[in-house]
Amino acid sequence: MSLFKGRMRQYIPGHKELTAHKDVLEVLPGKKVFIPLYTAYSTTFELLVKEGEQVFVGTKLAVSKGKVVVPIYSSVSGTFVGEQKMMHHTLKPQTHLVIENDEKYEAIQVFQPLDYQNASREELLAFMMNAGIVGYGGAGFPTYIKYQNADKVEKLIINAVECEPYITSDFTLLPEKMDLFVTGILAMKKMAQALEVVIAVKNTYPKLIQLLETNVANIADVRVVGVPNVYPMGWERTLVYQITKKRYDRLPLEVGAIVNNVTTVIAFAHALVHGKPMVERVVTVSGDGIQNPSNVRVRIGTPVREVVEACGGYTSDEVKLIAGGPMMGKTIVKDEVVIDCVSNAITVLKPVVERPVACFRCGQCSDHCPAGLQPVRIVQASKAKDKKMMERLHALDCVECGLCTYVCPSRLDVTENVRIARRQLQIGKK
Amino acid sequence: MKFLYSASPNLRGKLSTRRIMLELMIGLLVVYGFSLFYYFTEHGMAVALHSLILMATSLIVMAITEVGFAYFTKQDIIPFLSNSFGWITAIILTLMCPITITPFALGVATFCAILFGKLLFGGFGQNIFNPAALGRAIVLASFTGVVANVTEDVITGATITTKMANDFNWLVVDPNMIEKLMKAAGGLQNLFVGFYPGGIGETSALLLCCVGIFFIWRKVIDWRLPIIYLSTIFVLGSVIAWYSGMSDWLWYPLFHLFSGGVMFAAVFMLTDPVTSPTSAAGKCIFALGAAIITVLIRIKANLPEGVLYSILIMNMLTPMIERAFDGKQYQILKKAYIVFAVISALGIGSVVLAASQVEPAKEKVKEVIKITPQDEYVNSLEATIESEVDNGDGTKTFTVSAQGFAAKEGPNLPDYNHGFEPNVFEIKVDTATNKVVYLKATKIGDTEYLGDKLLNAKYTVQFEGLDLQSEFEVSVNDAITGATYSAKSSVRALLEVRKALGF
Repeated sequence: MSLFKGRMRQYIPGHKELTAHKDVLEVLPGKKVFIPLYTAYSTTFELLVKEGEQVFVGTKLAVSKGKVVVPIYSSVSGTFVGEQKMMHHTLKPQTHLVIENDEKYEAIQVFQPLDYQNASREELLAFMMNAGIVGYGGAGFPTYIKYQNADKVEKLIINAVECEPYITSDFTLLPEKMDLFVTGILAMKKMAQALEVVIAVKNTYPKLIQLLETNVANIADVRVVGVPNVYPMGWERTLVYQITKKRYDRLPLEVGAIVNNVTTVIAFAHALVHGKPMVERVVTVSGDGIQNPSNVRVRIGTPVREVVEACGGYTSDEVKLIAGGPMMGKTIVKDEVVIDCVSNAITVLKPVVERPVACFRCGQCSDHCPAGLQPVRIVQASKAKDKKMMERLHALDCVECGLCTYVCPSRLDVTENVRIARRQLQIGKK
Repeated sequence: MKFLYSASPNLRGKLSTRRIMLELMIGLLVVYGFSLFYYFTEHGMAVALHSLILMATSLIVMAITEVGFAYFTKQDIIPFLSNSFGWITAIILTLMCPITITPFALGVATFCAILFGKLLFGGFGQNIFNPAALGRAIVLASFTGVVANVTEDVITGATITTKMANDFNWLVVDPNMIEKLMKAAGGLQNLFVGFYPGGIGETSALLLCCVGIFFIWRKVIDWRLPIIYLSTIFVLGSVIAWYSGMSDWLWYPLFHLFSGGVMFAAVFMLTDPVTSPTSAAGKCIFALGAAIITVLIRIKANLPEGVLYSILIMNMLTPMIERAFDGKQYQILKKAYIVFAVISALGIGSVVLAASQVEPAKEKVKEVIKITPQDEYVNSLEATIESEVDNGDGTKTFTVSAQGFAAKEGPNLPDYNHGFEPNVFEIKVDTATNKVVYLKATKIGDTEYLGDKLLNAKYTVQFEGLDLQSEFEVSVNDAITGATYSAKSSVRALLEVRKALGF
């Protein structure tokens, strides 16, 4: 605890016990899957299949155009029947590719496996791009971009923190795919030419730490680090600071770090070893609004409704359905929304009525903001429509982690108010 | 099936403003309970009752003001009241006031604090000045010296901070004076425990400390404010003690901490989040500034206490402090360190400068007058032995009447109607050794309150064992002229006895 700066983080009860030690439930999609044509940093796609065309598990359906290249693969076999605008979990309507599922799940070898030990760095980079590996922790940032300019990387940090409450998908996946995980970190270490690999796990998971330590015991320059059970420990900036004690301006590379999520590592290794893209993922379905909270393995493009039904349905007639964890996940008002490759969780909560009172400037939000911002003052400036002030207060650097709303004793929607401030600034810039 | 929408995040922590305010109120009531106990046990039921009446007055005036405001601004009264937390202001204001205040004065102060201090600024969370401090300032400005009848008989004399300010200049170096001050305060321990009259809730540093620690643990208050405020006052007190060369210095900073409103302010006033900066760095600067101003006002200004105005001044500077720490916390860290260091240095410098201009409290030196048998005035007085009794055990008792100031100078005095009587003394002498056994005045003809000093055992004791055969000397410990003349009268009486014994 520092005198001149707040804690910039906060312990949040995780409720991980709801799903952490249950077997993973296999959920197969129904008659249709809807594969979103969406990736971070790119909105235009080149379609590679025609309506009515037969597709298989692994068929490349589309590829993004523009700065980043991200291919989209089919997760089922059947017939591509067309495009459909649907609500996406980002709360914006997106084009989805509709595939009629023949329930045979016939797979094709869309690319060849690659032995990372014999491959060059360039080969690995091209392979990663072609396999469509993105940040599966939630951001969806194309992973190969991080490695393109990887130079003087001191630490490759593997983020196994999972700081959002309720989510245990990485925690469940990691022991199951330990061999792939080890392969993945070694391949990525080679790509980054990193001096060492640091695997960050919460201190509250001693068994997982032990398991990881036994598996990497014989590998040089790979270590497991326990990090405090606080939110948002899994945010890139917080994690990099925790491990390197350095802060960066835009990218972790500035301080010689690359951060990758566990699921990303495993997906990459899976592609390397089996020559298959990521077509399914483990999703935590949890919260007090769901009958049977569990981790499910689900094909990309499966509607949330089917996943919820597999978990026993809702516990209440009125629920909040959240795509992601309760902190950063967006509330979705339709359960037709589909599971995306970056969907790590579906959280269902019973509504709680809050009785807000006026802000009394306690400064809890400023004390806890992991970005070091002062939400209370940003909101004041926003109410006064003082754009200069909002800029001075770096309102645009908010990542909407939600901690300010969480800690606010007056029960105000601080994060939402900061979002409004950001919008005011963004409109001004356009 | 209904899916509700709300903006993320969808999870809330446990801390709530209502709980904070509830715990704050409990803390305040604990402090108030202690003061009730003190006034009841030390000063009786009437004073304790007066204290209860004060609290009730403040709460009622607060309620009327808030309800009236809600009514005239057409707001729903119940939600308005429950979101306004006016009772906290009322209780804090009552606890800051001395017990001697009248309910009327407190009522006026509460009204002003609630209406002008808070509601007119836009209500809870919008005010610039700490409303309770504003109310207290109004009492200080308009009602000083107005004392409630009930408390008049019980609480005489000034509070310890007023004494420290008026009689000791907030700067005491002389060990005798320190002893005197400690006697007035009942010792540092008593200051710490709080069994002395002062602000109703301000006296017990010990209790306030405990409440403060509880509050920090429960996150009711920010830990930075009280810790920086108290430690800065301690450091500045130590610097003054060191600068003015106190040999046993530790009591001085502790006196600063335990006396007056410092502890109360550290727990309840500075920590008012509405009127202090929101950022961690800002809070530190705020508390540092308040501590420096507190000490400066104490030692140099014409006010008994500096706590109140230091808070109001820093409240005023809060927006400026906020502006100074715009930006990301970890980026302004260096700036915060520099600003803190510069203000600390300025604070120490200005406090030392102020201390150098303050005269340390000195003991009033009393003139000691020596009277010898050769004294001209003594010999100009007339004396006669009225009677001489041999006690038969080797001692003789003389009754001597001797002129005093009244008897000698009386006729010249205007409007003097005392009667010009001489003083009469009874003097017992051991005839074997010619030593005085005792001298006492049996009748005082001199001025009341001055001549009476002759009856004082402290004065007459010096005659006991006096050898009449040799030279002697009598000293009067008082510079008041009349008493000296009365003393000379007693010496004259003794000389008459000496003459009678043949010396």
